[in-house]
Amino acid sequence: MSVASIQRKRRRETYLVFIALCAFTFVNLMPLIWAVLTSLKDPKDAFTIPPTIIFEPTLKYHWEVWFENDFVRYLKNSLIISAGTVCISIPAGSLAAYALSRIPRRNAGPILSALFTIRMFPHMLLAIPFFVMGTFLDLIDSYLLLILALVAINQPFTIWLMHGFFLEIPRDLDEAAAIDGCSSWQAFRIVILPLARPGMTVAALFSLLLSYNEFLFALVLTGTNTKTLPVAIASFGGEDITAWSLSAAGAIGIMLPIVLVMLALQRHLVRGLTAGAVKG
Amino acid sequence: MASLTIQHATKSFGGLEVLHGVDIQIADGEFVVLVGPSGCGKSTLLRLIAGLEDITQGEILIGDREVSHLHPKDRDIAMVFQSYALYPHMTVEENMGFSLRMRDVNLSERKDKVRASAEILGLTNLLGRYPRQLSGGQRQRVAMGRAIVRDPKVFLFDEPLSNLDAKLRVQMRSEIRELHKKLGTTIVYVTHDQIEAMTMADTIVVMRDGYVEQIGSPLDLYDRPANIFVGSFIGSPAMNMLEGRIGGDRQSFVSNRGTQIAFGAPVSPEADRKVILGIRPEDIGVSETGTPAMVRQVEPTGADLHVNLDLDGDGFTALFHERLPLEEGQNMGLKVLADQAHFFDPDSGKRIE
Repeated sequence: MSVASIQRKRRRETYLVFIALCAFTFVNLMPLIWAVLTSLKDPKDAFTIPPTIIFEPTLKYHWEVWFENDFVRYLKNSLIISAGTVCISIPAGSLAAYALSRIPRRNAGPILSALFTIRMFPHMLLAIPFFVMGTFLDLIDSYLLLILALVAINQPFTIWLMHGFFLEIPRDLDEAAAIDGCSSWQAFRIVILPLARPGMTVAALFSLLLSYNEFLFALVLTGTNTKTLPVAIASFGGEDITAWSLSAAGAIGIMLPIVLVMLALQRHLVRGLTAGAVKG
Repeated sequence: MASLTIQHATKSFGGLEVLHGVDIQIADGEFVVLVGPSGCGKSTLLRLIAGLEDITQGEILIGDREVSHLHPKDRDIAMVFQSYALYPHMTVEENMGFSLRMRDVNLSERKDKVRASAEILGLTNLLGRYPRQLSGGQRQRVAMGRAIVRDPKVFLFDEPLSNLDAKLRVQMRSEIRELHKKLGTTIVYVTHDQIEAMTMADTIVVMRDGYVEQIGSPLDLYDRPANIFVGSFIGSPAMNMLEGRIGGDRQSFVSNRGTQIAFGAPVSPEADRKVILGIRPEDIGVSETGTPAMVRQVEPTGADLHVNLDLDGDGFTALFHERLPLEEGQNMGLKVLADQAHFFDPDSGKRIE
């Protein structure tokens, strides 16, 4: 086979892969596209079959969601709760993961397995005890209760993820730091933590996503004061199709902050997710 | 600078004892190499000195100060790791100055000390680079720089050259030796490479299975190995060993397979005593009237000639500095002088004087 024909074959394969990936992306983006279009249409346009491609876009429902529905307050609640969860979850999870990565594997194994088991519990099973505890401590409808609950359900994932990152940091560095004059805490803070930054960024983003999108715990544990965006959006829905455009506008509104965060941290995210994939 | 005393150092992991009461006395400014095969406990011993492992029993003294249970940072030691263990997120300058920073040395003094150490090691142009931008040899030098910048009492080296290629290893060997001459600091150096041990050490400690087999100067160990293990471990190619007994005239040796080797003079073991004869490959000479042997293989290295021989079924290696015209399958005669033969007790393995 000549070089030219090999190159032709490669190019053809590249095109095929590209087309397949475009199709895959389109399928995945379909709900998003549908939501964006629905949020810009009147309900009667949104539900015609076949769907109308050409229509007069309106920002009425976006306006209504943001300025006539307390959406900003719900967004503020969501951001406080998400940020609170990340701020507790990542430091606590990093400390636990670091310790687990540095103790003998036979001791760390059972603890990691136990954490994994917690992750397997249906959230509904955990939401009820949290509700009972919240009532007992008079914390229902407070930021703290939801933050603590989200930290608790988030922690196994954070610890597992960070554990992998810490394992990849050679123990020689801890030892070199100890000989250079660091206490264990200083070695962790000055030497190990900066090296675990890509992993921490990934863990923080996942933690943020989970707490920002969390519905069940937010529904059970919040009230009028601390209602989060997912709970608020759910209340727009229902069988009344006129509310669907509103729901779609709300969904787009929910997505925007998180998309902005993702775009801003994309570089760290990719680096964090691929760290350790190639030895070097 | 300080002396280092290890008294009855014992280390157990769970129920498994890996160091069995090691005693070593290291003088101030001495370059000591711990050598032995993998799993002999040499790195564990180094880690006990560094404080990276807890000692199970015994004492470690740096100078007159007992440090057995102190945190590594309080022992005033510096260590060069096999992996170099440079901090990837710090520049060479920050890496070298890190120990000073942790000891609250002010910035200008820190810079001066780092620059002085960098000059000694030829690192001045690399101070702004990160470890990932350095070659293996440069990283090695930075690791040493990090150790010397603080002027510690004892330097510990854990197989620091094993990641370098052969040529660089020879170069770094002499650089470390030079550095020791310049600084005069006590050094404990771990390696499994006996050439490294022989060429660098003032004193070698040979270890096996958690015990010290022999302590002595390189030539001492080479000329008078205390037992079969040291005899065969020190020297390359390894010492030839033959089991047999001393002849009735005490001037010859007869192997269990019947090979007779004449020494031309009386040897130290008594007549008819069962012994293991040790002969270094380079101590074998050629003599037409000597012990007959057949050439199995000839390996010229350029400088020397390694010859694998067959003595009535026993494998034997000889090393000649001359380029002898030998061919495989050829018969030749060997001679060994009495003062070049080593004798060991077959039961205890110990040297017979």
